[in-house]
Amino acid sequence: MGEEWDGKFVITARNLRKMYGPHLALDDVNLEIPSGAVGILGPNGAGKSTLFKCLLGLITTTSGDGTVLGYDIRTEGDKIRARIGYMPEYDALDPGLSAIDQVRYAGELLGMNPAHATRRAHEVLEYVGLKDQRYRKIETYSTGMKQAAKLACALVHDPDVLICDEPTNGLDQRAREFMLQTLRRTVSEGNRSVLMSSHVMDDVQEVCDRIVMIHNGKIVVQRRIEDLARQIEREIEISVWGGASRMQQELESRGFAVRRLGRVLRVDRVDDSTTRNILEAAVSADVQVRQMQEYEPDLEDIFLLIMEKLGAEVRSTSDLMTAAHTGGDLDE
Amino acid sequence: MSDDGIDIGGGKTRMEVAYGAGDGDDEAKAIVASKEAELGTIFEQSYRPWDGELGPRWARNYAIYRHHVYGLFRSTGHRHYHPMVRLTIFVILLFSLLPVLMLFLASLSGDGFMADTFSRMWGINRYNLWGQVLGYFPRNLCCWPLLTALVVGGMISDDRKNGTSAIYFSRPVTRLDYTAMKYLSVAVVLGFVIVLSYFVYYTSAIVFNNEGWAYLVDTLPMFVGGLIAGILVVITYTSIGLALSSISQSRFFAAIAFLSVIYGTKLLALLIETQFDTSILYVLSPYDCLAQIGQWLLGIDSNYNHPLAFSLVSIITINAVCIALLAARVSSLEVTRE
Repeated sequence: MGEEWDGKFVITARNLRKMYGPHLALDDVNLEIPSGAVGILGPNGAGKSTLFKCLLGLITTTSGDGTVLGYDIRTEGDKIRARIGYMPEYDALDPGLSAIDQVRYAGELLGMNPAHATRRAHEVLEYVGLKDQRYRKIETYSTGMKQAAKLACALVHDPDVLICDEPTNGLDQRAREFMLQTLRRTVSEGNRSVLMSSHVMDDVQEVCDRIVMIHNGKIVVQRRIEDLARQIEREIEISVWGGASRMQQELESRGFAVRRLGRVLRVDRVDDSTTRNILEAAVSADVQVRQMQEYEPDLEDIFLLIMEKLGAEVRSTSDLMTAAHTGGDLDE
Repeated sequence: MSDDGIDIGGGKTRMEVAYGAGDGDDEAKAIVASKEAELGTIFEQSYRPWDGELGPRWARNYAIYRHHVYGLFRSTGHRHYHPMVRLTIFVILLFSLLPVLMLFLASLSGDGFMADTFSRMWGINRYNLWGQVLGYFPRNLCCWPLLTALVVGGMISDDRKNGTSAIYFSRPVTRLDYTAMKYLSVAVVLGFVIVLSYFVYYTSAIVFNNEGWAYLVDTLPMFVGGLIAGILVVITYTSIGLALSSISQSRFFAAIAFLSVIYGTKLLALLIETQFDTSILYVLSPYDCLAQIGQWLLGIDSNYNHPLAFSLVSIITINAVCIALLAARVSSLEVTRE
């Protein structure tokens, strides 16, 4: 760890700026990221990859400074990379190697001696669920297995901070759940910090308790997800059985603000009597209320609201995804 | 965390329903989904920490070197070389050691006409030492360029193609270390065949003919001249080969482009010489520049009309340009793709 690191924030940045020629990729970025799981969000081209490269000490910053684990990102890039595990977004594996050899080599590239690297490769491949397939060549792996192998390469030296770039890219439901569970466990059981970028808000919400959002090279939000969710107006969501239009009219006639999509209605929660009023309206409108709950805004809601505030035309996070995110062109 | 400037207070969340759920006013029918079969698991996931020490820079660099060189000898665990590639390299090595066998046969024939003939054809002299490293046929037509093409093909282009550059550069491996170790790996393999076979050839001549110190003192300057020429061949072919490997994503391109450079420049210069009776265009041919320098180092009359200085400048320029190209292309290898 860096000599003057107080252990409070694993990553800090102050007025960090990066320009590629005339293009401003990072604009006065100020960051203070404590340990734990943090989601890095932002539309394509927002500057997430540039931020990662700056944090890994791979590119020189135009101005400003920053630290990772107390090490200076401008001068101590090699020390940072020795303590960080990086899981890249795209394929980064040699198809001619078996997973065990690939992970061992990844460890050796960090300076682990071959015997330690081999033993550790067995451990992390078991951890990421590839124990039985570890002697198979990577060229025979599915996308999910390749993602797991990349995670194993990043974890081989038990890093303090794990940076995952789109870890669930192209994964099916089962593989995705396992990947997210593995990342959660790395934080909770391994006490490691995870920085995860993803366009899938559900994934980020499942692993992370904080988000950092980048837009046009600027940090627009860095806060706990539950703090952000608390700012959004509370609504009660009801699903009705037939006569949704009647129900909407009845509620509006009682002075409630109602939004409706199909048989799902959202009613602004005014006070504790709102629930009783909704049920009375249902009786009056002669409709069955099949489900009623206080709607909990999720990260997707928060992301879209922030994008709306910023004037970006994003209807849903699926607009941000390319074919690679859904596994469409992984073999190309 | 520090606060931010965005306020989402009072914002409305999105609404969405499942496709085909209707508009809410139709007569809905209940659909009961069948329970999905559950798969059992005996896998228990647990995070195991590691508190070992990471080695220094040389340990990381040695890992890169070992990965690329050991792959030639072991079928698993290191860089994968196709069995036919390994076999071809082995055949080239055996072929380059053929004069050793001939020297051995000559030593068995005793004194007389046969021994004299064998000795002139394969014994140690300026011409044979030059030919062992720089003879065009078969060494620089069939063996060395093919050997280089097989070794450099994919050396860097595979990292670009497979994205494995991210594995290197997201670790404390610098681009200088990466390039230097790749260069060293190729140079060692080429040196193992070209320089080692030259060394074995020279020493076996001494051993088989039972030569003494006087012979060694007489021939050592020639040997050293040839050795320097051999090292120059290794360096130049490595520089050109790796530069070509770094500019593409295809191992086939790197191999074919290398052969094209070596044979193409030679052929072009030969055609110009035939038509216009000038050897000046041989300065474009890496092989011919090396051949002329080798002739000078071994004290042989030059086959070329143009001054030796032209070839020297040409070889330095070729190496400098190739290394500059290699450095520029390695700098462009990405850790994150955008």
